[in-house]
Amino acid sequence: MNASVDNLTALTIFDLFDVAADAMLLVNHQGKIVRANESAQQMFNYPENEITELTVEALIPESLRQQHQQNRTNYVSQPQKRSMGKGKNLSALTKDGRELPVDIGLTPINAKEEKFVLVTFHSTDKQILAEASLKESQARLQLAKQAAGLGVFDITLSEDIVYCDEHTRDVLGFDENKPITYQHFIQRLDTNSQDVWQLTLKQASESNENNEFRVELLVKNHQEGMQQWILVAGKIYTSGEENERVIGVLQDITEQKTLLKKLNMQRIDMEMLAKQQIAVHTASAIAHEINQPLTAISAYSEVALQALKTENIDWDRLNRSLTGSAAQAQRAGKSLHELMEFLHSGEVIRAAIDINEVINEAINITHESGYGGFRVNLDLEPNLPKVKANQKQLQKVMINLLRNGVEAANDAGIAIADLSVKVQTHAEASMAEVIVQDNGPGLSQEVAARIFEPFFTTKPHGIGMGLVITRSLVEANGGQLWLDTDSKEGATFHLTLPFYRD
Amino acid sequence: MAAATIFIIDDEPAVRDSLTMMLEQEGLNVIAYDNAPAFLAAYQEEILGCAIVDIRMPDMDGLTLQKEMLARDILLPIIFLTGHGDIPMSVTAMKAGAADFLTKPVSREKLMNTVRPALRESDKRLTKAACIEESLTLLNSLTEREREVMLLAIDGFSNKEIARRLDISHRTVEIHKSKIMHKTGAINLLDLAAIAREAGF
Repeated sequence: MNASVDNLTALTIFDLFDVAADAMLLVNHQGKIVRANESAQQMFNYPENEITELTVEALIPESLRQQHQQNRTNYVSQPQKRSMGKGKNLSALTKDGRELPVDIGLTPINAKEEKFVLVTFHSTDKQILAEASLKESQARLQLAKQAAGLGVFDITLSEDIVYCDEHTRDVLGFDENKPITYQHFIQRLDTNSQDVWQLTLKQASESNENNEFRVELLVKNHQEGMQQWILVAGKIYTSGEENERVIGVLQDITEQKTLLKKLNMQRIDMEMLAKQQIAVHTASAIAHEINQPLTAISAYSEVALQALKTENIDWDRLNRSLTGSAAQAQRAGKSLHELMEFLHSGEVIRAAIDINEVINEAINITHESGYGGFRVNLDLEPNLPKVKANQKQLQKVMINLLRNGVEAANDAGIAIADLSVKVQTHAEASMAEVIVQDNGPGLSQEVAARIFEPFFTTKPHGIGMGLVITRSLVEANGGQLWLDTDSKEGATFHLTLPFYRD
Repeated sequence: MAAATIFIIDDEPAVRDSLTMMLEQEGLNVIAYDNAPAFLAAYQEEILGCAIVDIRMPDMDGLTLQKEMLARDILLPIIFLTGHGDIPMSVTAMKAGAADFLTKPVSREKLMNTVRPALRESDKRLTKAACIEESLTLLNSLTEREREVMLLAIDGFSNKEIARRLDISHRTVEIHKSKIMHKTGAINLLDLAAIAREAGF
């Protein structure tokens, strides 16, 4: 026999009796209540010392008491186990006079000298059952909340009270049991995230749908150098124009964010590598095309020089070498031309494109590719004529410009970049114009003058091909890309594209 | 140095043409081929010179030609012409015994600074080959038994020991040795050993 079974056999019937969840009474054959467990004391609302003074009939509604006495005498003469769930709509009387619908089980117990009956009560009251079930589902919710790492908060704006559960307090760094005002709550957010929060609430309350929101926020640094991100989802309850209450859950997503950032860095590295490879291959192709004629030109020139140096000028070699040299120089030019044509070829289909759609797609892709920290103020023209462009190339152009803006702002220490994208039309020129502006520090004159040069870069790991490619893509689509040198704040790029004509 | 011949193997006509003229101005004979197999087919007799080989060619590239020349025991030193991106190939070529490599475009000065040592190397190889040839001819005039005696003698065995090993008389060994020295013209045993080594024994 092992130890735990030993321990079990040491338990007395009373130990089990006392802790049972069901209300239980031990009654002797005279009907006297000998013992009542805690559940029974609660159910009937009697303290222990009082309930053990009673006979069971005290717990029977008056109308049934006599009948019960009779039943009990019959039962005692022929005791047998009576299970619960036999229907019968029984009820029990509490100390304060309430009648509780119950199910009753009877079990005869034979002690040495005396016989007892164990009476078990199970409430069949719908309300009590519902309460129990509510308690259970709350416990389940709590478990789920814990498992998902969710914290709950409930902000009553009208009374300036913020309820936060333990997890929320933990994440936001609130002391236990201290009352929290809305101001306290907001101040736990990073300055930039405070703006984002306000904006999110505003948008959610103005949206006609269900006033729900979902937003990623940065928590103010508890520790230096540590960034803590939370995902907040919730719903706003309004009364008229006013926001009255905000209920939501939050989740610490710092780890996911860090992972995402890491992945994103890797992706950028990979893209950089690919770009470098392309640059290297292109340069190699050009070098190879040019090097052969250069080799010949160099040698021919030296032959010509040597031919002139001899006492009798070697006219034959002079003539041959200069002729060869000229031919090779022309050949080099032609090769380059062919190469550039080849690089620009490839099936590019230009179709009628909705530029607003492309811009929205580009914003989504940029967000999804980990450039999450930016907002876009869109100013699109709703009934814009379609432009003639290649969808993929135009998308690439927009993504490049958006990323450029985000990076410019991020590099200047602005965590959440504010970009503005504006579309306008020039009907007289049959052109659409897109203006992309960032809230970075803008470009110095020197940088602005060189920004479209190949291999010119201000980034530590850039190769300076981004804007070159972007511009050549715009030009390949019959448009132009330029930097607004008069821009007062941030860098502003303009691009034009021709309208589509059937 | 006797008139040397430079073989240019390059698929690029203008490069062949211009380098040919440049080398001719330096008083060298030049024979140019536009592909490696044509050169291999034409090159029969070893002559003083070197091969200037483009490392990148269609059909048979420079490295393959180099392997083929090594396999055929062609003595001509090889100078490779390479582009800017051919460094790994150049390293392979140098490891396989190329005389040098030149990066295109090539100046006259660099070309000649590479060709001259290659020609000296060619001269050295030809001289050495001639020595071997001579030694081989000398040793070929020996009879089978004389060759046996010679090998034992240069391994340092005494006449007595040689006689015992070959199961011939002491006197016969002495006669063989005197014939060997006469036929090879070797002054002493050390000289004989040098000739044998030269011939690859």
